[in-house]
Amino acid sequence: MLKRKLAGIAVILFLGMTATAQSVSIQFDGSVFKLAGWKQLPATAPAKGWASLFVVYAGVGDVPPLLGSYSVEAGILIFRPSFPIAPGVHYRAVFHPPDGGAAIENEFDGPRRDTTPLARVEHVYPSGDVWPSNQLRLYIYFSAPMSRGQAGAYLHVLDENGKVLPGVFLPGEELWDPGFKRLTMTFDPGRIKRGLTSNTAMGPPIADGKRYTLAIDKDWQDARGVPMVEGFRKNFRGGPAERTAPDPQKWRVVAPKAGTSEPLVVDFTKPMNYALLQRMLTVTDTRGSVSGTVSTAEHETQWRFTPQQPWRTGDYQLIVDTGIEDLAGNHVGQLFDIDVFEHVTEHIETKTIPLPFSIH
Amino acid sequence: MRRITFVSSAVAFCMTAALAIGVTAALKPASPVADLPSRKVELKSAGAMTFSPDGILFVGDSVGGSVVAIDTMDRKPAAKGATINVQGVDAKIAALVGVPADQIAINDIKVNPISHNVYLSGARGKGPDAMPLIVRVDASGAVTNVSLDNAKREMVSLADAPKSDPAARGGDPRMLTITDMSFVNGNLLVAGLSNEEWSSSLRSIPFPFKDADKGTTLQIWHASHGRYETQAPVRTFVPYTISGQQYILAAYTCTPLVKIPVSDLKPGAQVKGQTIADLGSGNQPLDMIPYKKDGHEYILVANSSRGVMKLKADDLGSYEKIDSPVVPNPPSNIAGVPYDSLNDLKGVQHIARLDDSNALLLVGKFTGMPWAPGAPQGPLNLQTIALP
Repeated sequence: MLKRKLAGIAVILFLGMTATAQSVSIQFDGSVFKLAGWKQLPATAPAKGWASLFVVYAGVGDVPPLLGSYSVEAGILIFRPSFPIAPGVHYRAVFHPPDGGAAIENEFDGPRRDTTPLARVEHVYPSGDVWPSNQLRLYIYFSAPMSRGQAGAYLHVLDENGKVLPGVFLPGEELWDPGFKRLTMTFDPGRIKRGLTSNTAMGPPIADGKRYTLAIDKDWQDARGVPMVEGFRKNFRGGPAERTAPDPQKWRVVAPKAGTSEPLVVDFTKPMNYALLQRMLTVTDTRGSVSGTVSTAEHETQWRFTPQQPWRTGDYQLIVDTGIEDLAGNHVGQLFDIDVFEHVTEHIETKTIPLPFSIH
Repeated sequence: MRRITFVSSAVAFCMTAALAIGVTAALKPASPVADLPSRKVELKSAGAMTFSPDGILFVGDSVGGSVVAIDTMDRKPAAKGATINVQGVDAKIAALVGVPADQIAINDIKVNPISHNVYLSGARGKGPDAMPLIVRVDASGAVTNVSLDNAKREMVSLADAPKSDPAARGGDPRMLTITDMSFVNGNLLVAGLSNEEWSSSLRSIPFPFKDADKGTTLQIWHASHGRYETQAPVRTFVPYTISGQQYILAAYTCTPLVKIPVSDLKPGAQVKGQTIADLGSGNQPLDMIPYKKDGHEYILVANSSRGVMKLKADDLGSYEKIDSPVVPNPPSNIAGVPYDSLNDLKGVQHIARLDDSNALLLVGKFTGMPWAPGAPQGPLNLQTIALP
């Protein structure tokens, strides 16, 4: 009955057409909808508004009209949608002649949805092959913006027999970055925390000595609703629970030589939370913060800082934010779960610890 | 835009912490209604919401790191007994803003306490280009867009300027996800989750927002549960009155329920909550609504994995705190305040109190695994039920 094309010229329903309608055409130029050829077009909106005469629908059934605004330009009534034209939408534009004649309508398709797969998993942190049984957070870096709300269906931890393990992650809690390219998942804290019923009844989500596979299914959709190029798998083994707080005094700070742009290298005693390593360690000299580039190595047991300008001879400090965490959420001076019979630390404010070093 | 201090780490147990603030006081209308300036509302996202008793809508913008107060100008009292039932509200919103229905996300629903119109926050699109949406649905089922172009509004920024991430391309990845808000005694309480550090973030911000007042950061501890205390962010909370004392009932990122006296919520305080219920493992409470019926008190709790629970909340103050692991009913691991599971309510994504007799549900089909539900599959329906 109707032609559908992006920039269609109106095809008019001739059944029941009135004199008013015979010259009318409805057009869509890819951004606005036009009602042309209506010789009785008033210069100003009728009492009931332009929408009483000309309305565009972007859905089927009992749906409200598409949001937009009207203007009269060169004898043509123009409807401008409030939101940008989106792929995959079918439009129906309807003109109701004020003389009560039969409605005239035309249908159009917006641009097609691009269904080319683009997204892959680029990185997963922790990057190591042994995760403590009280591992707290998992970071997944995708190459393209993703749809949220799909981790429950497409992110799994498999046991050594390939069986999906239930209840590993905190349900319904996907924490994305603003660009929807990094997902933070939290292992069920109820199973990690000693003394909680879930921990007592089900044990930790990862068991020391067991082998697992992190499996990300290809069907996970990107922000356009298109599945990924390929799935992703990472094998890891459960290790002992990590129950010591990071101690910067035990870190090894290896200072480069003056006049070079070699990286400052900090070796931790254990793997640390990748995301926090990007912003919770900074380098200062007597003039303030030193600009440079951060990277990690050795499965997040090493932090490297490459300065923008060559190192000068003198005194420097590595400033440690005590909020920095290891893989189990322990931070400096504060364990993830505190044994209240032995030690309670009421950690109030984020503080910093300076680790001095010299460049020669 | 104003700033308030980012909440530092708090030590708390992983439990539903009941933050109880007096319902009576919380619902007392502020007078006069705050006169907000008319400006374009610049939301980057629209998530958790709450209303003040006088019809000011607070919208959490996790991407923008802020909360916006919008005067809805929607103060025509509701017709008695009016209900809201809309099939396929996601498709209606999609048609309104011109996208396929699968590109609509609904993040929260709240009911205007005066007009009883329901407000939905969400997004048009699902990626970084998603546009924030706030729509209103009235008793006739009409779905209308809440214009943000020249609204009477005020804004407060929640985040300290995050340190830049040299490794990040396309922006700083750090974000605070605002999980719940409540307006209590002239203050906006905001709970959130960081996508990086494991921290508690509960803020109290006086309203109207003032330049000089950056709000109060609260550290919520959980009372000893066994011999360990742990850190945990508050996931959701609701004001509540127990024996005339104001509390908040709060839930952490696992399911124990905790009560905290509002009198403890002082600037800089380290607050210890008392666990009064454990709602089961592998689960998160999503919404709670307290109500009274036939002389008894109840709390409806919508959960990520365990459906809707009806807590019997008479004499909440009489429950001894749970301070040791209790596994009374393995494997469901429930303890404390008794509750019924409302098994006839399936797929409840959000729940809000419509009036003294009715609740409003957003219902859709869960995707994902039973223990890890994902985004609901449409159609999504708004459904009024009599409070059970």
